Amino acid sequence: MSDTFVCDDKDTLIAYLYDEIDPIVRRRVEEHLRVCAACTAEVTALSSVRVELASWSAPETELDFQFVRKPAEVVPPAAWWSGVPVWAQAAAAIFLLAVSAAVANVQVRSGPDGIVVSTGWMSPATVVPSAAGPTTVATRAVDETWKPALAALESQLRNEIKSSRDAASNAVRASTRTTLDASTLKSIELMIQASEVRQQREMALRLTQFNRDVNVQRQADLVKIDQVIGQYAATSGAEMARQRQQLNLLRRVNNPQE
Amino acid sequence: MVATDEELVARSMAGDAESFNQLVLRWERPIYALAYRVIGRDEDARDVCQETFLRAFRALPGFKGQAKFSSWLYRIALNLCRDWIRRKKRTPVVDMPEGVDVVELAAEQGPVESIEDLVARREMSGIVADGMRLLPDEQRTAIVLKEYHGLTFQEIAELQGCPLSTVKTRLYQGLSVLRRHLESRGMTSLHNGRAS
Repeated sequence: MSDTFVCDDKDTLIAYLYDEIDPIVRRRVEEHLRVCAACTAEVTALSSVRVELASWSAPETELDFQFVRKPAEVVPPAAWWSGVPVWAQAAAAIFLLAVSAAVANVQVRSGPDGIVVSTGWMSPATVVPSAAGPTTVATRAVDETWKPALAALESQLRNEIKSSRDAASNAVRASTRTTLDASTLKSIELMIQASEVRQQREMALRLTQFNRDVNVQRQADLVKIDQVIGQYAATSGAEMARQRQQLNLLRRVNNPQE
Repeated sequence: MVATDEELVARSMAGDAESFNQLVLRWERPIYALAYRVIGRDEDARDVCQETFLRAFRALPGFKGQAKFSSWLYRIALNLCRDWIRRKKRTPVVDMPEGVDVVELAAEQGPVESIEDLVARREMSGIVADGMRLLPDEQRTAIVLKEYHGLTFQEIAELQGCPLSTVKTRLYQGLSVLRRHLESRGMTSLHNGRAS
């Protein structure tokens, strides 16, 4: 860059006008302005344009854009048995089957007519001595062996299911409490904020309305005053014109040669 | 303590819609004013403003913070204004907002401003708006960004995608056109500044 500022250097002039200029260059421009009337006038005029630009404002419209998200879908809590291992579930099913069979007094007999299945307590099963006797005895012996085993399995499963259920429900309860606490606090904060904003808006609205009412009234009064003054001016103008006509008429009557 | 734009952006990116609402509240007015002055229509400026924030919200995951959030928003808004001008292919004009009459405008200014001041200011505002309408889009945008949003030459150059010197030239040419326009409308202060 040269040591002196030249009149055609409009970029530097604009940089000077907006005060985005190197201090050394600024000094050169200032030195030039002291001796150049044309550049001084231009800077003055452009500065005035900038002042006038400030009068142009965007309308004060209400915007209030809000982004709203759909609330997340609530996932239902998992079934209590989902924490129980599959093998335990299968064992429980078998156990229930066995208990049901015991309750229903299911009896399986094999005889000359083939295998016979009977249920119910009303007619106790009678042992028919036959060639198939040893088979029935063997079945009874097996029943006797299974009963304690089934009882043990039942109690074990009951304990296991109970402990699993307790653990699962505790976990669900804890997580629900944490989520609830955080979300409740958040929503309360949001409600408070929204309420404050609403109150501020209402207050601003009331003030604006009051302000507007006062000014509208003032405008109306000004218009009325203007109308009254206009009417008065019109009336007095007409009166003066009439008087002037009468004077002219009198003058013509007194001096017919005029 | 008021959160910075960067903090609100980070929270918004983590899924906090309320933080994004705070950003909207903070920037909706400047973005609307920018759109209004560039395209000159109240309703369309509102649409541009709303679309700016929608696009910003959608593009938020891609915002890496290379630029200031405000510059990023300005860029989106200016692109939308450019699209709007291209689409409409009409000269921007400055309309009186719908449903607003002179009495209401007078009422909004408050009792401190006299009717004479109000009328003079409205008149001057209209003259300036007319002058801005005369300018090519690039010059008008440069002046709006500089005068009403206080951006630096460098920021305007980045937003307009042009060299720094082009921004200064646009500003100079735009201000000169406005100066002639204001002089033609009898602005005496500008006449006084004319070189003898």
